[in-house]
This record gives sequence, structure tokens and C-alpha cells, in this order.
Amino acid sequence: MKHDPKASHCQCGGKMSRRGFITALGVGAAGVAATGAMTARTATAKETPMIPSGEMARIDLTVNDRAHTLLVEPRWTLLHVLRESLGMTGTKAGCERGECGACTVLIDDIPRYACLTLAMEVQGRRIVTLEGLMEGEKLGPVQEAFLEEDAFQCGYCTPGQIVAAEGLLRADPNPSSETITRAMSGNLCRCGTYPHIHNAIQSAAGKRR
Amino acid sequence: MESREHRLISGRGQYADDLDFPGMAHLVFVGSPHAHARIVRLDVAEAEAVPGVIRVITGADVVEHTHPLPVQANFTSPGWTWRLAEVYAMPADKVRWHGEPVAAVVAEDERTARIAADKIQVEYDPLPVVAGAEDALKPNAPKLYDDWPDNKQVHLKFDFGDPDAAFKEADRVITVSNREGRVTGLPIEGRGCVGHYDRGKGTLTMWGAFQTPYLQRHNIAAAMGLPEARVSINAVDIGGAFGLKIHAWKENVVALASKLTGRYVKWFEPQRDFIVTGPHQRDVSWQGEVAVKNDGTLLGLRATVTHDLGVESTQKGIAALSIFPACSSPCNMYRWKGMHIEGIGAVTNKSFYCAYRGYGKDKGIKFIEAVINRVARELNMTPEAIRFKNFIQPDEFPFKAINNYVLDNGDYPGTLNRALEMVDVDKWRAEQEKGRAGGRHIGIGIVTSIEPAGVAVPNCQMGGLTQARVAICPDGTVEVDSDRTEIGQGSEISHVNIVSGILGCKKEDVYVRPVTSETIGQGPLSSRGAVWPASAVAKAAKQLRAKVDRFAASMFDATVDDIRIADGVIGCGKDTEKQLTFAEFANKAFFFPGPRRLPKEVLLEHEQLLSVTTTWYSPSTPESGSSYTTFCTSADIAVVEVDTETGVTKILKYAHVHDAGTVISKKVIDGQIHGGIVQGIGEALMEELKYDRNGQLLNTSFAEYLIPTAVEAPVIEIAHLVTPSPFSETGAKGMGEAPIIGSKAVILTAVEDALSPFGILVEDSPASPERVRAWVNGSKGDEQ
Amino acid sequence: MNQFIGSRALPDLVYHRPGTMDDLLGLVKGIEGEYRVVAGCTDFIPAIRGGKWRFADGINVVDIRGVKALSGIREEKGEIVMGAATRLSDILVSPVIREKAPVLADAVSQMASPQVRNTATVGGNLCMASPAADTAPPLLVLDAKVAWRTADGEETTPLNKFFLGPGATVLPPRSVLTEIRFPAPGPDEAARRTRMGQRTAFVCSIISVAVWLRGGPEKIEAARIAMGAVAPTPILITAAESVLIGKKPNEATLAEAAKTAASNIAPIDDLRATADYRKSLAETLTRRLLAACVGDLA
Repeated sequence: MKHDPKASHCQCGGKMSRRGFITALGVGAAGVAATGAMTARTATAKETPMIPSGEMARIDLTVNDRAHTLLVEPRWTLLHVLRESLGMTGTKAGCERGECGACTVLIDDIPRYACLTLAMEVQGRRIVTLEGLMEGEKLGPVQEAFLEEDAFQCGYCTPGQIVAAEGLLRADPNPSSETITRAMSGNLCRCGTYPHIHNAIQSAAGKRR
Repeated sequence: MESREHRLISGRGQYADDLDFPGMAHLVFVGSPHAHARIVRLDVAEAEAVPGVIRVITGADVVEHTHPLPVQANFTSPGWTWRLAEVYAMPADKVRWHGEPVAAVVAEDERTARIAADKIQVEYDPLPVVAGAEDALKPNAPKLYDDWPDNKQVHLKFDFGDPDAAFKEADRVITVSNREGRVTGLPIEGRGCVGHYDRGKGTLTMWGAFQTPYLQRHNIAAAMGLPEARVSINAVDIGGAFGLKIHAWKENVVALASKLTGRYVKWFEPQRDFIVTGPHQRDVSWQGEVAVKNDGTLLGLRATVTHDLGVESTQKGIAALSIFPACSSPCNMYRWKGMHIEGIGAVTNKSFYCAYRGYGKDKGIKFIEAVINRVARELNMTPEAIRFKNFIQPDEFPFKAINNYVLDNGDYPGTLNRALEMVDVDKWRAEQEKGRAGGRHIGIGIVTSIEPAGVAVPNCQMGGLTQARVAICPDGTVEVDSDRTEIGQGSEISHVNIVSGILGCKKEDVYVRPVTSETIGQGPLSSRGAVWPASAVAKAAKQLRAKVDRFAASMFDATVDDIRIADGVIGCGKDTEKQLTFAEFANKAFFFPGPRRLPKEVLLEHEQLLSVTTTWYSPSTPESGSSYTTFCTSADIAVVEVDTETGVTKILKYAHVHDAGTVISKKVIDGQIHGGIVQGIGEALMEELKYDRNGQLLNTSFAEYLIPTAVEAPVIEIAHLVTPSPFSETGAKGMGEAPIIGSKAVILTAVEDALSPFGILVEDSPASPERVRAWVNGSKGDEQ
Repeated sequence: MNQFIGSRALPDLVYHRPGTMDDLLGLVKGIEGEYRVVAGCTDFIPAIRGGKWRFADGINVVDIRGVKALSGIREEKGEIVMGAATRLSDILVSPVIREKAPVLADAVSQMASPQVRNTATVGGNLCMASPAADTAPPLLVLDAKVAWRTADGEETTPLNKFFLGPGATVLPPRSVLTEIRFPAPGPDEAARRTRMGQRTAFVCSIISVAVWLRGGPEKIEAARIAMGAVAPTPILITAAESVLIGKKPNEATLAEAAKTAASNIAPIDDLRATADYRKSLAETLTRRLLAACVGDLA
């Protein structure tokens, strides 16, 4: 999936409930000031490579082809920003320390753990989450394959599995069986759905071709 | 219409961590660093001073505002021991395991709660630690519960059949022992929920990862001292359960937090908490002797199984209850003359024991399968030959076993034969011979098992409660309620298949509603989903179908025998003019013309609504007292290769034959088989919770408590036999636990076979590389 | 005493992301208060979440990923040079590494998980100075050197002298590791490595072993054996070299070398393995790797 330069520019996060309230910039500085946040700086500008403690920084990033401008605290992880600022709960929190894979997202097409990624680091980067693999209301090819092969049980690790599989197929459209197994070794599934996941990825590779 | 599958795969699932309510506060727990200590002082001032902290709840608050956790299983019988300790959701005076929660912080957001949690000061006076069952049962061991005479919580004694006669008849008696390590089920999603206490109505509503909402409502209401009718428990999407989410424990603190603060309060458990304060299982040792004839006939068993239960379970009595199936299941699928089995449970300073896939059935079957393979080796028989000799035969069903289980049916020899067709064991045995000459150690494991499924026992909350409702709405769509929560085991798709099959409606028109405490039942545990709730759903659907037939007959001016329903269309005989979709039919039945045009009898019998609520009970239990209803059959054959220098076991081939009766959904069953086998492989080869002598749990994360990854999962070949059970409404048998039972047993027996040249008995698990290497090093001399 | 067993919050960070080497060195020179240089954060975040590291609010985090000069792999003057912030996954796909030092790629291919390898860096792996650092044994047998810079200059040291103990290195305060370099192996050299974990993938090594030989089937001219997770730091085991050098690499020689290597380590018992098991593996794995290298030379 290519980044669409005409992608809509969203400034208000996913929804205006508790999630998405604190950091949404869209309504203007008033909304931000109300939360007690101080000056916003941009992390891109060469002259300010530093974001002081306790202050919020402005970052620009693209999530699922949609550009966002957000205020983040430097200690926030990408996982926190996705789930809490943007209200995108498709990406799951498992261990919060890079040991389970539930929070796998693509950063510039590469699978990484959102729990081990500081939000500041993804300034200007292109993030893809499970939600971003949808084609409108239709499932994307990897999702379709997971559905057909029944490649999930409880569904909790599934977003991470599907995104890891998508990342694999973007890098290697024709992975060998061994490659699939190795590529998926960073995503634990306690339901033990591995054989069906493996089948789904093989089938997805065919669908994407 | 979006299915559950579509919802989860598109990222629209709603799990506990995804819940969001206005003004929602967050709760985190603070745990004890000591395994056994008196709480001398607990200072929350610094934590409460953190901006954003709403309240700190201590054990003292819990004792003040709530009741002790309720009893869920209680047995007394002459000569037995069964003790229950009084425990609260959090203790005020004493901690009994590493990690036991002593306080909870409620704050505006989770991060603030976490920061404040670190500022709670607790002063402890450490007490001597009871580090394991063996220590716990020693005379003068430090006691966990002051009002008990010792640390023995449970001692059950069973005489099945005539054990003395069995041993008298024996040609030989072989001493056997076995031990398995402590493990945890550990779904990727921890426990979690949101609680909301409405002060105006005096109602408590909770949403979260609730595996058994009806029982959890009872237990939370009891602990909270609230009228049960004012408590509502709602299951959301659950990220795996395996028995670990039947709790009503920390949930009480969440409820109390809401009651004390008036806020929606959310708690979502990080993985570390889940392991350290999680439900644990296994950690048993067996000592016994088996009586056999020289021709391979199995006669009797005398054995004692000792459980390290950890502290009193937060599900009081449920840990102890799992000792029953552990004691009964060694009978497995063979004819025995008699057994004397004793089950002992000791309390220790470890996290508590609760349900995890297997729940004791795994222990007994794993033990007896290892024993039988050992007997076969002593008698110079193959593992398959000794089984063929002792199987209960297909013409003997229903078979009342000496342990009082009434085995429904099956084809035990046929199941093993099918597995032997899939794996050419003679070829592998030749390979084994050849390999040994070159220092290559191949092992072939063969295990057969039944899975007792669908528990119904007296004096506990598992007595066989289930309820289902199937209804046609005025627009023709169908809604289904049951107590079978969806925990990844496919309950929703199974119920869709059952209901659409019976009613003749379209699958996409069936909506299986999220499970709430409004529906009576034990929920999906003990592999009862396909037996009890599914039977109730099928029964309700059949009754509803009879109503539809009757209504339609009246609408078409025909007889019920003329009504044909398929693919969402209700027809009458061969008359293509007389057809109604479900929507048209329901509209007629409810509104236009509505009940006034239904037959007089229907109205007078108050049968005018297209909704059926019913229950179901196991037909074999009332007369026989059988604790379980269906017994699916499995045969597992594994071929492994053990590197005796490094101790690493590699699985070369794995075949599993399964007979779960009528297949409601093959994909669901295959998924359950894969998952159970992978978990069993984890238990057999790598998973073990390790406590040190001070009661500190050493492996507290996914990096330390290792579960199988995609790389560890072998290629699994599956074959299905179908012997429908006469004891369930659909003919299906419960099967969720079967694959974990067979797989861990078969891997260990294959490893033992591989190591047989060294004279090694695999009597301990997991057979980790280090353990295998130590066995090889310690074996008498080199290869024989 | 840790009262709270859950997942800890990250402290308030002062986040720095310099874009050039000069900015980086100037920043590190002048920074006030506590600071940490991070490259992937794959150790930093878990260490805080698990309570292993505790920082007061205001900790400076210096993210070096913005400095392009710190990433990349090149071959110059017979040496292979890797920037300290080179990601593990870049090592895996690097044509230079795959051709000249496949032993390093092999080690990296088994580290952590694909997602971590897409994030973590080789410099980070070395600077964390874990006894089990999996890039260390192959780099040690490849005779790697590491270079660091401060605002005032540059220094280089053999990797063998880099580690001081668990989590400790010779890196002076206010310095930044910049490069790892090693001579490109010649055709008469062979190197192999392996490791053992409690499971196959996504696991910390309980032992890792790398061996390197120069010579031919008739005579070994030079040898190196390195191990991880058998001592407070990854180590070169020089004692075994003399057993091999000048000898014909037959089964007995290799077995003796392996035995010597194993008797010159002092592993500890920990959650993952006992010392005895590690010693036993050290011998077995070394012997097997030596035999494989001899095969490569032939």
C-alpha cells in the first residue's frame, strides 16, 4: 500500500472521549492549555533537537495513510499514542516490554514493537496498524487469509500476527515455509494457532501476487 | 452483518483493555516482595499525595468493606481432609506469597497509579517460608493458616473396584513414580475489567474478561455483600482464558474501588502480575505401584498424588476440587480390576492453584500412560500391543468404569489403529535401531486417552448449571444466549452452526449475544461447552423449530409435517407459492396479523412467542452419578530425536487422531487440537515456574517463563473419527482439554523411548535440555 | 525493595535527537544531569518497565539514530566497518557481511525476534555489556575493535578489552561508541558460531560459542574461541588456542581443544541454566563448531 499524499489530514484523533482528548491539537491551543500542557515544540526542527522533560512536543506522523499532528510527552510510547491519543485500539498491549508481539505495527513498512518505540522517534514516519490493512470496509488480503484459514482463536495476539505477516510479505512476497516460521517467531500465540497462521500466510502470499 | 471473526480480524474487537467510560479511573495493585510475612506498617501518605491519585485501597479497607471470599466447593467424607481458609481479596495482616496484593492505587490515569504504587511504603516482618509440598507436610513445618493443625488442605482416599483382588492376581507389581513442574496457562491478555457502582440504584455493573459471568456474579456479590440481583457481570472479548479467567478475586477490589470513589474503575493486569499472582497448576508428584499379568493385562494401581497447591485458592475449594479428576482419571480407557488412589494437597507459600486446561485429568492420564509404557517395556511388548489388550471394546458402551465414570462410547482400538496408519512405527523403529548404532537417538511415543468432559459434581458451583435461549426477533433474525462465553474456543461459531442447522435459518441471521450473568450457567470450563451449553442451545433450537413448524402450518393452513425449512426459507410441501422468508414469517407471527391469527391452542397454552429458554442436564449423571458426561477419544503418536550431548529434543513427526463425536465445526476442533498440542509440548519440554527457597518466583515475564513460539510448533497431522455421543443433544463430545492431555504425555514417553539405551526413566517434567543432559550424565555408564 | 510488581511507568524524559556527529558529541559533552545514550530502546524500556533501572524524572535520553554517520556497513582497506547504530536487521541483509562474515549474520539471525532486530543496534548490544550479548562471540573471534568518540577525540580498543563486567565497559563518560571494525576474513579462514537457549527462538542465550580457524586440513595456523554467558562478560578463551595451533585438526585435537576451552570458563548457576550444564555445552558446542570449521577449510 502506497502512501497517498492526498491523504486526509486529521488533527483531532480518533474520537473525543477520554481517549484522544488530552493530546488532540485540533481544537487549538485552548484545548491543550486546559490539560496543563506547556509549550509545544516540534521535534523536526533542526534548531530544537531537545524536548524538555514534562513538556509536550508536537509530532507529525502518518497512521494508516492519514496524517496526524499530535502533542506527545517524550516518554510516551507509540503504543500509548495509538491507543490513547488516537483511540485506535486495534493494536494490543501485551507485555509492554518487547516479549510477546501483540503490539506489532509497521513503521515505514518494517514490523516493530510499538511498546518499544518512543513516540518522538516516529516523527515523520509512516505507521501502519491492523486497522490500516482494511480496504474500506473490506478485509485486506492478509486479513482475508487469516479469516479463511481460521488463523486465530481468542484474537488477542491476532493484530500483531497479521501486521507481522503483512510486514513479512511486503519484504518477501514469496517466503519459504522456513522463512515464515522464523519471521513469525516474535509473535507469541498462547492459543497455539501457529499451524493455521502459517497456512494463512502462505495463502496470503498467493492472494497478494 | 459482521461476524466475530470479521470484527476481531479488522481490529474492532473490544477487550477489557479497550473499554473506555466517562471519567474512568485506573487501578493498579501493589504486591508483597515477601513470600510469607506479617504486615507491620503500611503507609500510603506519599502515594496519596501524588497529583491525580484518587484513593489508595489497602487490605484493611478490604477487610472493613467486604466479606471473605465465598466457598465454591466443599466436601466432607469420613477419613478425608478438606480444609478451607478464610481469605479476603486482599489481606490486612499477613502476606502468604510473593506478589500477594496488599494495596491498590486508584488514579486518574494508569501511569499516575503506577507511579504512586511505587511510593507505597510497607514494612514487613518476614516469617519462615514453606517452599514446597514436601516441606509443607513435614512435622513442625511453619504453618500457613494458624487455625489449621498443619499444612494439609486436602486428603482424599478412593477405592475403585477391588484393589486388593487386583494385586493378589498379579504376576508382577512394578513401582512407579512421576513428577511434573509448576506451570501457568498464561493467555497473552492478562485479567482485567471495569467496575461501576451506581450509588443511586445500589447496583454494581462490571465488564471484562469474565469466563463464567453467572458464577462470578454470585462470588463478587457475596464478597461485596451486595444483593446478587443488583449485580451484573458482562463478558467482553476475552483474550484467551484456559480456565484462568474464572476468578472473582482482584475484581472485588475493582468493585470496591468504584463503590468508594463513585467512578468507573478500570484494572488491566500487566503480564508480570498475571504470572506472579496468577493461577498456577500441575506441580504434583506420584508414587505408586501397578499390578499386571505377564500377558500384559492391567489389573490394579495403588498410588498417591501429592499436589503443591500454593496458598488457599482465591476460588475457594476449586484448587482442591481438581484433585478429584487427578485421582479418577488414571483408569483412562482401559479395563481395570481395582485401584486405591489417594490425593493430597498441601498449602505452600506460592501463588494459588486454579483451573488450567486439563484440571487434573491431564495429571492422572499422563501418569498412567507413562506407567503403561513402562509396563510394556518390562514385558517386552510394544506400547500399542499393551493398549489393544486392555482397551474397553466398542460393544461395551455405555461402560461403567470402576471410577464410576459412565463412558459414553467410542472406538478405542479404531482410534489407535487410525494413528498407526498415519505413522509407520515399524519404519521408525528400524530407523531408531539404525540411528542408535551411530549415536542418533530417536524415540517413538504412543499414547491413547479419553477426556472426561462436562463436569457435574455435588457440593460445589460445578453441579451442572446451564441455560440457553434461542429466539426469533420480529424482523426474522435469530438471537442466542447461553452461558458459554467465547474464549477463543469457537463457541459463537458453534452455536451459529447448531442453531442455523436446526432452525433452517441463514447463518448470517444468527447473532450469538455476548454472555452476561443474566444467563444461568457454569460457563465454558471442563470442556463442557460442546456438551452442556451446546446441548441446551440445540434443545432450545429444536423446541423453537417445533413452534415455527406449528405457526407456519397454521399460516399455510397445512400440517406441521408439510413444513420444510432450509436456507432461511419456510416452505409448505411442494407448493412453491407457499413460501415465507424468516422476516416475513416473524412479521406475521408478531405483528401483521400477529398473535390474534395464531391457533387458539397456542394462545391458551401461552406459547405465542418465538422464544425458548431452556436448560439441559447430562442424561447419564442422575442414575450413575458419573461426574462427567462425554469422553472423547484421542491417540497421539510422536517421533522425537534427542541430542544426548546437548539434551535438546526435536519433534520429527506428530500425529493426532481425534474422536469428538459429531463435528460441529472442523476448523474449531482442529484449532483446539493444534493449541492443546502446542501447550502440551510447552509443558513437556520447556515450561516451569521456578520458586527459590525463599518463595521468590524467579521467572516473571514472557522472556523467563517460556511458552512455545511458531518455531517450536511442529507440523501436526490430524485425523478425525466420528462416533456421536448418545449423551449430548448434538452428539458432540467435549474436547478442549484432550489435546493437552495426550501431547505432554506422548512427548515425554517419546523422550523416554529415545533415552532407553541409557536406562533412563523420564519421571520428571519438563524434559528440558538441561534436565535431559543431566539424566544422560547420571545414567549408569554409557549406552548399554 | 520493589513493592510494585506490575509494569512501571517511564519517567519524564528529556529527549534529544541530534542530527550530526558534532551535535551529538557537543551535546554529550555539555549535558547536565543523568543521561542515557539510546539507539533502539529495546533494552532501555524493558529495564525500566521491569524495575531493573530506575530514573528520576528529567533523565536525558540521547537518541543517536538521527546521526546518519553512525549507521551503515562498509568495507575499507581490508576491514569491515559497521556504524554503532547499525540495526541488527541491516547486518542480516548486508551483502558485505553475508559474503565476508556470515558468522556474524548467523548470530544476529537468532537474536531476539524479527521486530527487535528491526529496532536494536549492534552498538547497543555491545554497550549493554550483557554476558549473553550474542553479537560479541562472533565479533571477538573476528578480532573486532571498537571505536568511540568524545568531543575531544577518538579511541579504539580491541573488543576483547571492551567489557569490564555485566553492564560495564571501558567507555569513558561523555563518549559515544561509533564503530565496530574487523579484518575481512581471507579464504584460508573459517568461522562458525552457535548458541543454546531454553527454546529455539526469541530467547536469551544460556551459552553462545564462536570459533575461528586459519589454516588447512593439514595444519591449523591460528585459532580463536569465544563464548557468551559463561563469564561476567563475553570472553575470548585463549587457553585453547595453543592446543590447536600447529596441529593437524583431527578428532582428538579438536576434542582436546574443546575440553580445554570448557575448563577455562567459570559460568554461574542462574535461572536459565546451571554452571555444570553450561560447561558441558561449552565443550560439546565448541567441538562441533571446530569440526565444522575444519570442514569449511577443507
